[in-house]
Amino acid sequence: MAATTETRVRQLAWVYDLNKCIGCQTCSVACKVLWTRDEGEKHQWWMSVNTMPGLGTPKGWEEMGGGFDTATGKPIPGHQPTREEFGGGFDFNYHEVFYGGTGGKAHLEPQAPRENRWAMNWDEDQGAGEWPNSYYFYMPRMCNHCTNPVCMTACPTGALSKDENGLVLRDEEVCMGDRFCMEACPYKKIYFNYERHVGQQCIGCFPRIEAGVAPACVRQCPGRAVFIGYLDDENSPVHRLVKEWKVALPLHAEAGTGPNVFYVPPLSPYRLKEDMSIDYETPRIPPEYLESLFGPGVHSALALLKSEMEKVRNGGSSEMLTTLIAYKWQELLGPFTVDPATLTPNGSKGA
Amino acid sequence: MKVAKLAGKLADPASAEWGSVDAVRVSLAPVALEAQPTEYIREAWKDRDYGQTAEAAVKAATDGERLYIRVEWADDPAPNREFQDAVGAVFPTNGSGVLATLGDDDKPLALWFWENGRPGPLNLRSHGPGVFRKEDSSALAATGALADGRWSVVLSGPASIAAKGKVGLAVWNGSNDERAGLAAVSREWLPLESE
Repeated sequence: MAATTETRVRQLAWVYDLNKCIGCQTCSVACKVLWTRDEGEKHQWWMSVNTMPGLGTPKGWEEMGGGFDTATGKPIPGHQPTREEFGGGFDFNYHEVFYGGTGGKAHLEPQAPRENRWAMNWDEDQGAGEWPNSYYFYMPRMCNHCTNPVCMTACPTGALSKDENGLVLRDEEVCMGDRFCMEACPYKKIYFNYERHVGQQCIGCFPRIEAGVAPACVRQCPGRAVFIGYLDDENSPVHRLVKEWKVALPLHAEAGTGPNVFYVPPLSPYRLKEDMSIDYETPRIPPEYLESLFGPGVHSALALLKSEMEKVRNGGSSEMLTTLIAYKWQELLGPFTVDPATLTPNGSKGA
Repeated sequence: MKVAKLAGKLADPASAEWGSVDAVRVSLAPVALEAQPTEYIREAWKDRDYGQTAEAAVKAATDGERLYIRVEWADDPAPNREFQDAVGAVFPTNGSGVLATLGDDDKPLALWFWENGRPGPLNLRSHGPGVFRKEDSSALAATGALADGRWSVVLSGPASIAAKGKVGLAVWNGSNDERAGLAAVSREWLPLESE
């Protein structure tokens, strides 16, 4: 019998626990310093943490279209986000402040018209609601490395493909900078490099993955809020949270692209009534808002989180909560536990 | 179209040498929507006009070593938002090829591509509308100038390409977000005839 070779395509997935994300942007900065410091990348934040509800980055991304019409299977035309809508990347008046002889009268401010000012976290901590029931939560956002990536199908040159780990990667030599991918992406997480005339986005830290090192956003998270692993690995926290407990949910799954970044939805305190007594019936973050992000499964996910917490409060144990707490930091890293400090510059393990 | 034998600064579209060369008026038409290579593009542009640049004026010249193609067309005065104006000179690579679709997989076309703002021209192999593959572009040069509401661009490369016998044109109106296969293409090949 002839031997057959088969390349097994696996799917890496991320799970962000929104109850643990503190919005510190360490993931954003870890990604920024690693990948987007070259020419044309000033405005690029492949990883960014939005305050929700909020306009985020690019400004108003949830209203920019893209994805698939799940009824017809046809792609939905979208808006191509501009550099201004992504925001940031403007210069500051450092020289005036530090060397201008203004004696402290000048203050650092972006050198851009006030109405055009926007950055990846410009509306940080604004949220929604009225005191005493105002609310917000943080939501890290990156390329969703979708199972059915509309960016890939929109591209006329075939510059995008999925690798053996399910990461959506771009061949920049093939990319013509046509930007249909940016329009088609419902998450608006693809950037254009105006200097090099190519699209760019999260690469899933694939060189680290290949060396057994977890992506920077995962490894650097001080809140232990993010897991990575293979969705088909039944022992992986990612598999258990997404497939078994169904407590980690995709964002805007209605876009039909099969995103592989999942979120444990945020619990919230109860609302306060006008007399400042507690309304135990109503969480401060409106459930319908969470449903608009994470779909109808958010209600059972939140109910399960609450019931597991109640179980532990009553002296019981919860494997799910133990997993989410991540007592052992390495559990977050999946199979990618190699310490990058042990690697030689060519990526192999040092002596 | 006669390929004039000239010397001088042919790479400069404003060069006086070009004044002695007759221009050929070329009628352009949009690449068909059905020919666009992805469903996304067909959906996004099904209710939107593109490729409306109706006409261009083209001249050809050679100094013996290089072939120079000078293309002139009326600029759309609407502002360019994300995309820039561009032009291409198209040549057969394999006998002939379908100009209206900018080639196909069986008979790809050679495309000398200039885009306003790009550091240099691209040498592309076109397998269809927007289905472009980058090749070594070191032998190509291009200069574009916008004056009095008209673009003038000279693309040049090795004179040997003239042996292909014909040239086509493609124009992209950046003000209308045109790129990839969303172009106006000359309706017919223009024969390249030695002077």
